[in-house]
Amino acid sequence: MPKTLIVGEIQGGSLRESTLELVALARGLGGDVVSVLLGSGIGGTAEELSNKGGGKVLAADHAGLEQYSADGYASVIRQAIEQESPDLILIGNTPSGWDVAPKLAAALDAGIITDVFKIEEAGGDLLFTRRLFNGKFDGQFRVAGTPKIATVQPGAINAYEGSDAGSVEALSAAPESRTKFLELRTAAAGGHDLTKAEIIVSGGRGLGKPENFEAVLKPLVEALGAQMGASRPVVDAGWLPHEYQVGSSGQVVQPKLYIAVGISGAIQHLVGMKNSNFIIAINKDPDAPIFEVADMGAAVDLFELVPALAKAVAAAKG
Amino acid sequence: MKILVCLKQVPHKDARLEIGSDGTWIKEDGIKFEINDYDNYALEEALRLKDAGEAEVVVATIGPDRVTQSLRTALGMGADRAIHVWDDSLANADSLGIAKVLAAVAKEENFDVVFCGLMSDDSNYAMVGPMLAQLLDIPHVTAVVKTDFENGAVKVEKELEGGTLEVSQVPLPCLLAVQTGINEVRYASLKGIMQAKKKPLDKKALSDIGLDGAAVAPKLSIEKIYTPPKGEGANLLSGSADEIATQMVGKIKELGLL
Ligand SMILES: Cc1cc2nc3c(=O)[nH]c(=O)nc-3n(C[C@H](O)[C@H](O)[C@H](O)COP(=O)(O)OP(=O)(O)OC[C@H]3O[C@@H](n4cnc5c(N)ncnc54)[C@H](O)[C@@H]3O)c2cc1C
Ligand SMILES: Nc1ncnc2c1ncn2[C@@H]1O[C@H](COP(=O)(O)O)[C@@H](O)[C@H]1O
Repeated sequence: MPKTLIVGEIQGGSLRESTLELVALARGLGGDVVSVLLGSGIGGTAEELSNKGGGKVLAADHAGLEQYSADGYASVIRQAIEQESPDLILIGNTPSGWDVAPKLAAALDAGIITDVFKIEEAGGDLLFTRRLFNGKFDGQFRVAGTPKIATVQPGAINAYEGSDAGSVEALSAAPESRTKFLELRTAAAGGHDLTKAEIIVSGGRGLGKPENFEAVLKPLVEALGAQMGASRPVVDAGWLPHEYQVGSSGQVVQPKLYIAVGISGAIQHLVGMKNSNFIIAINKDPDAPIFEVADMGAAVDLFELVPALAKAVAAAKG
Repeated sequence: MKILVCLKQVPHKDARLEIGSDGTWIKEDGIKFEINDYDNYALEEALRLKDAGEAEVVVATIGPDRVTQSLRTALGMGADRAIHVWDDSLANADSLGIAKVLAAVAKEENFDVVFCGLMSDDSNYAMVGPMLAQLLDIPHVTAVVKTDFENGAVKVEKELEGGTLEVSQVPLPCLLAVQTGINEVRYASLKGIMQAKKKPLDKKALSDIGLDGAAVAPKLSIEKIYTPPKGEGANLLSGSADEIATQMVGKIKELGLL
């Protein structure tokens, strides 16, 4: 049973939910659990984590940790690792986690695996499971040596819900960073609000070229009285503005009906739409991961089905 | 300014992927490969710096013989020279091994900026960039969506979640791991492709850069890969396009949306 060090995360002043997911995962493995929490003025949050299963919480409370920096966070987490000698280090696969975890691994010359959604004991060793090829395959991995570092996909595991009396210990830190934080900025919101739409028809790279959004997708959008959405590559290529993007770096939507056309179903897209009430997927690849979250689907060429569907909808409306 | 761009060659987006016979990776014969999408954006970002002034853009890749084609493409887009490292002992290399090789390549020259992609489209690891920065002892930023170079430093925007961007100032030398969409990627022109044939493409073995198989022995190993078990999954419809459309319309009606 591994001794696990959890790297907690504070977001907007509170403990990030994904930290409690790491707690559940670590406790599920059965070994000792300790945590490290970094930030400025974090006494209350450290207390909270220690009472929610985080075990002994090393609180690194320092003005220089108020903003995340790879340099500053890596040096403090390293201090915690040296103090605790864990077998396993769990970090959220969040914008700061995916930044600092590989840096730490290189600094410690330790084995690492990113974005796992499952860790299990197998023959005295740990088996890590994650997606590959944007969700088309899953893979099982082993990591040699100690400590092992894993980043964990947010939302993949249910958060720990128990309450336990842990303890908080100060970790004196002297973080320094070569990068200088300037500001947090919110990307300008567009006028295309998808969060209130009843029906969304989204197009992905499978549409092939920008003209097809007008010629192929739009007739279906209009027949249904829906709003048009898109996957990230469509926006990256400049085919549609960013305000059409659904996903982790776009809008998170929950319409009554979501129709995904030519979208493979990478996790970053799925987190933006999987809670829709009913999902229809159209993708010529029957193994596309979008079908895992869809309620109904067709593994056919979108250029044949979408026009037929637009016509059938129009006819049904009479 | 001297810029290194780390490029990976990955299976083409439209390739039909199948699991290979030993069950630990995909079958690579018979499929097309291309430059990792994230790395195209990284290369474009470097080429824009070159267009804006004095800069030498070097591309480096680790991979078997097939990768020379991607290096030629990168040279055709405007990179000045290419470095190709390969050794059979790298066939099972993990990200840290790859980062060690790239670090050895980078240490032979003094680069002001190293560009990587945020992640590779095949493994989706997103590890090599921050590892390489650590090994070179330079600062880094991942998920970069905007750069602004000025007086020996770069102002960088990093994409966080939900439309938030983090702006920071990073001194050179540094490593930037680029997110897609940061720019509009150019194509190699015909003239560029002709010129590329004359540009230097340096092929190196591990021993040329002071490493050996033991130095890059992997800690991460793949036990097996498999098609994810279908959960409840979708009710997959069959029939002609019109028949499928009729069934879908029936459902949409049932949902009270027509
Ligand atoms: C940090 C980060 C944030 C991200 N944020 C987002 C985000 O907010 N939103 C998002 O969408 N992505 C996001 N991504 C990108 C994501 O990982 C995927 O790359 C992206 O979702 C893929 O888009 P796609 O499905 O349109 O393209 P692809 O994965 O290329 O899929 C195209 C699909 O179209 C199908 N197809 C092709 N031709 C046809 C046809 N004729 N008929 C039917 N089907 C066809 C193919 O079978 C394929 O499945 C993010 C990635 C990262 C790393
Ligand atoms: N074999 C390789 N050769 C050169 N660069 C690589 C290689 N593998 C990864 N990289 C770089 O590291 C980035 C992240 O890759 P990864 O950590 O594999 O997801 C890629 O976008 C490339 O810039």
